[in-house]
Amino acid sequence: MPTLLITGASRGLGLEAVKQYSTAGWTIHATCRDPSKATELKALKGVTVHALDVTDFAATDSLAAKLKGTAIDVLFANAGRSNPDAAQFGKIDYKDWLETFTVNTLAPFKLIEAFIDHVAASQRKTVAVVSSIMGSMGKAYGKSYPYRASKAGLNAALVNLNIDLKPRGIHFLMIHPGWVRTDMGGPKAHIGAEESVRGMRAVVDRASPGTSGHFFQWDGQELPW
Amino acid sequence: MPSVLISGANRGLGLEFSRQYAADGWRVFAACRDPAKAVKLAELAKVAKGKVTLHRVEVLDFDTIDALAKELSGETIDVLLNNAGIMENAVAMPFGKIDYARWEQVFKTNTLAPAKMTQSFVPQLERSGKKMVVTLSSGLGSMTDNTDGKRLKPGGLYLYRTSKAAMNMTMRNLSFGLKPRGIAAVVISPGHVRTDMGGPTAALGIEESITSVRKVLDGLTIADTGNFFFYDGREYPW
Repeated sequence: MPTLLITGASRGLGLEAVKQYSTAGWTIHATCRDPSKATELKALKGVTVHALDVTDFAATDSLAAKLKGTAIDVLFANAGRSNPDAAQFGKIDYKDWLETFTVNTLAPFKLIEAFIDHVAASQRKTVAVVSSIMGSMGKAYGKSYPYRASKAGLNAALVNLNIDLKPRGIHFLMIHPGWVRTDMGGPKAHIGAEESVRGMRAVVDRASPGTSGHFFQWDGQELPW
Repeated sequence: MPSVLISGANRGLGLEFSRQYAADGWRVFAACRDPAKAVKLAELAKVAKGKVTLHRVEVLDFDTIDALAKELSGETIDVLLNNAGIMENAVAMPFGKIDYARWEQVFKTNTLAPAKMTQSFVPQLERSGKKMVVTLSSGLGSMTDNTDGKRLKPGGLYLYRTSKAAMNMTMRNLSFGLKPRGIAAVVISPGHVRTDMGGPTAALGIEESITSVRKVLDGLTIADTGNFFFYDGREYPW
C-alpha cells in the first residue's frame, strides 16, 4: 500500500485525511505539534505519529533524516494558520503576518525540500499542499491580507517547483479544500471535513504530469491564479 | 504640481523616477535608507531648489516608515511609489539550498513594506488629486508567465518570485479597501532593466523603462485599480 506523510494531523482536515487514508489501508506518517494530546490520531490504524512544529526547520530536517529510506507516495502539507484579528487594514500586525508567511509559505516549502528524495523514491511521487481560494488574485475582494498573501506566495512557489523538478517526475498540486467546518473555517462553513477530504483525495489520485502545477478546489474544479 | 513619494530613491529605478519627476516639476519626496550617502540624490535636490527633498526610510524597519509619515503629516502625496525591493543574495540559491532567514527578509521588504507604506500614507494620498499607490512588481511574480517560459526563463528565484506574487495579491486586495476612498492601487513591471538588480545584460535601459512606466501611470484612473501592468501599458496576467 502507498505511504502518506501529512502535517497538522491532530485536528480538522489533517485528522480527517488520516482517518480516510487509514481506512483505505495506507501507511501513514502523521505529524502534529503535541502528539501527547492527539488521542484520536494515535488511535487510528497504520499511523505513526511524529512530533513536529512545522516552523522548526531543524526539526523538519531531523524527521526527514529519521525517515531516510522510506518512500513517501504522497507528501501532504496541510498545516496552516490564519489570524483574521491581526489582519484589519490600519491595524495589521506585521509580526503576525510574518508568522503567517512562515507557517503557510515557508514551512510547506521546507517540508518539500526536506522530503523530496523520499517522494522521488516512491511510486506516486505526489506533493499536495492545502492552498486556498483566498490565494487566488482573480477571486480576491479585500481583507485577510496576510492569509491571502501567504497562499498566493505558496502557489507561486509550487508553480516554480513544478518547473524546476519536472525532470524528477514529481507532481505538485495546490488544493483549495473548500470552506470547511473546522476550527479555522468555523461552524457556518459550507461543507464538512469528510466531503472536503474525499474530494481532495480524488484530486491527489488523479495526479499526473497534466495536472501537476495546477490549482484545484476539492471538487476537482480548476481555480484561476 | 503633483507630488510623489518614492522609496529606494537613491539608485537604479528609484533614482531615475526621482530625476524624471523632478524634471517635470513634481514635488519629490525621495526616501532611502541612508540619505547622507545618497550623493546623486543630493545633487538632484540641489538643482531642484527645494522641490526634491531627501528622507530616511529603512523599509525593513517599520518605525522609520511611521516616523516619515509623521514628518510628512501635513503634506499631500499624489503618488506613493513603492519602489524599494530586494532579491536573493548574489549567491545562487537553488532548491535544496534555500536560506529561510533571507526569504523572510525578502517577504518583509517586498510584500509587507509596501502594505505598511500604503497604510501609513493614506491621509496624504486622500488629500491629493491623483490618489494613486504604485508598487513595482515583476513578470517574475506572475504565475501565468512562469508556466510556459515564453517570455522569461522559468523556475528558480523562489524568494523573489513568491514575494512579488504575494505583493501582487496584497495590492490587488488592498485596492478593494482603498477604492471607496478614491485611492487606486496598481502594480507595474518595469520590464527587465539594466540596474544592479537586473544585471548588465538586461534588455532595457533605465531611462527608457521609467519614461514608459510614467507614461502608463499618467494614463491610469481609479477604473484601473487592482490590476497588473507591463511597462509598455499592456495588462499582465497574474
